[in-house]
Order: sequence, then structure tokens, then C-alpha cells
Amino acid sequence: MSTLPAVTSNNPAEQLYERVRSHGIDFFVSVPCSLLGEVIEILEGDTEVTYTPVTREEEGIGVLAGAYLAGRRPAIVMQNSGYGNIVNAVCSLVNYYSIPIVMLVSHRGSAGERIEAQVPMGDAVQGVMEASGVKCVPIAHPSDLDGVDEGIEWALAEEKSIAFLFPFSFWQDAETYVPEHR
Amino acid sequence: MRRYEATREIMNAIGDELVVCNIGHPSQEIFKLRDRPENFYMFGSMGLSSSIGLGVAMAQDRMVVALDGDGSVAMNMGTLATIGLVRPKNYMLVIIDNQSYGSTGFQRSFTADNLRLEEVARGSGVESVVAVHRETEIAPTVTRLLKEDGPHVLVVKCEPGMPDGIGVIPIDGMEVRNRFMAAAKPG
Ligand SMILES: [Mg+2]
Repeated sequence: MSTLPAVTSNNPAEQLYERVRSHGIDFFVSVPCSLLGEVIEILEGDTEVTYTPVTREEEGIGVLAGAYLAGRRPAIVMQNSGYGNIVNAVCSLVNYYSIPIVMLVSHRGSAGERIEAQVPMGDAVQGVMEASGVKCVPIAHPSDLDGVDEGIEWALAEEKSIAFLFPFSFWQDAETYVPEHR
Repeated sequence: MRRYEATREIMNAIGDELVVCNIGHPSQEIFKLRDRPENFYMFGSMGLSSSIGLGVAMAQDRMVVALDGDGSVAMNMGTLATIGLVRPKNYMLVIIDNQSYGSTGFQRSFTADNLRLEEVARGSGVESVVAVHRETEIAPTVTRLLKEDGPHVLVVKCEPGMPDGIGVIPIDGMEVRNRFMAAAKPG
């Protein structure tokens, strides 16, 4: 499916993207986060996928559900705060109609966070995902990316959505991280 | 003209297009008027009919009609911004504007006051935006727009209210989904 080269990069964003694409995920939406900037840049440059930014994560879930109904393999790229915006759509659309959406979620409020207001939703997000019936797989480091392979295979086979959480430690050493923008 | 009569005119003008139907009474009316596997009935997720339709349109080449309401589009107004950004040729959003939240008891909606969704659509970058007020205009307008490149936003202005005895949809979500997916499959 993917014509991207085999994993050779040390760049976490590139490694993650290649893993996801290798499962035939071919339809993406995104809402920005500073941690996801590189993933979104790669996505914008990939002419083999269908992609659009969306105004809000909930709208994106609707678009992705439509894409799955039409035979595509969809994914959303968003910050964990965005999960708070999609809970009803997850329960009454995605879970109800058994639609597997791959969620690539930056985990703000995890160790290394400098913005206090990000911490409450960062602490809540795993519980909110589980309570709304979405399996949550934290990927703490690029060496854990096998978890993405297993998770996507499971999601597609079971027709269930799955969320991968990428904390600061995945992107770079939390101790040295200084956010340039929010 | 109420939503039911407007929907009847729209469904009569539809050929083999894929149709995404809004939550609640609108879906029930469409089921009664013209059930077909190409109809996706959205049983939850108020606000997302236009978005689901947009995803179907972006995913494949067949024409897609998303039937939506004024209250639902107001709930997810960012959808117009995204439609104006993506501009899929094979997409038509029909907003049945009865100035009310019909499925919850016809409470006044924002279009009963100052909101003009056709202006929001134009301001979002959609060029083909049409508003119709008369029942006899609906079918010819739908037929004409479906022959032209989209995206189209068609706003149908009608009165609040609905007929008695429409009844619930007797098939469940997985059946709706499975038969729609089979109908939407290319080839
Ligand atoms: Mg209404």
C-alpha cells in the first residue's frame, strides 16, 4: 500500500507516520498541536493520502466515519484536549456503527509540560477514552512503536477505534523540551 | 411546505446518489418516503450529517447528498469552513431550514432570528449556494445542481411542523451501515 521507504529515520514523527501508513491508513484529518507539527507537515506532503484540516475534532470524526463507510482507512491527528470534543461522536457514531478510527494523540499535560492548564485534561484523557469505549495505548518512546502496529491490526480486525497517546517523552527528552508556541 | 414535503421533493429528484440523512425525524421521514441502501441514517451524533457526507464524498467519486437541518448545521458550523476549503465536486449539502429544532419539539432555532446559513456558506468559500422558498422549485433545482460540479449548498426554507404517524426506522444501525457500505463500494 505505502510506497514510503522502510523505517530508516531517527525522527519520531517520520517513524510514527511510516508505521501508520504501512497499515494502509489512507485518509487523515488533523487539528494542530505544537507536538504534532512535523507529522502534519509530512501528511501535507503525502500525495497518496486524502487529507484535510478540520475546524474541530468532532467534525473530523464525522468526516472520518464517512470515509470508512466509503471503504477507506481513516485516522485523526490531534491533541489530547481534542478528545474532550469528540466523546458524543465516539459513542453515538463511531462505536454505535462499529467504525475503526485510528487516533494519533499528542499527550499534553504529561511529564515535561510547562503550561499548567494542560495538566487537568492531560490527567483525565486516558480515563475519558476508556469510559467512552476507546482502547488507549500510550507510546512513551519511538522504541515502543510496535504497539502501534499491534493496535492498528487489532482495530481494523475488530472494527473498533483505538487511540495512541504520545507524551513529551516520545517526541524528545522531556527535560530539555521548551515549547515554542502553544 | 414543511420538512416532510420538502424532503419528498428532494428524494423524488435523487437518482443513484449516496445520501446521508440527519438524526431524528428527518431520517424517519426519508425512510418512509424512499428507503434505499444508498441512504445512511444517522441515529446519533447530532450535527455531523454534513461532515459524514463530506467524508464519503472525499473518499470516492460518486455524488453525495447530505441532508441536514438548520439547528444541526448551527451546531457544527465549522463544517461550512471545511466544505469551503476542500470543495469536493461530488458533494451537495441540503439544509432544510424550518427555523426550528424539529426533533426536540420545534423550539425556535437561530435561523428564526438573524442567522443566514446561505451567507455563512458563501463566506466560507462555497460558490454554488442556492436558497429556495417554493415547493415547485425544489425538484428542478436539485436535478440541475446534481448535473453541475459542486460543492453545492442548497437551503430549502420551510415551515415548522411534521405529519403524524411517521414511525421509527425498523432496521438497526449495523444493518444501515452494512448495506450502505455495500452500496457505496466502487465498481
Ligand atoms: Mg430545523
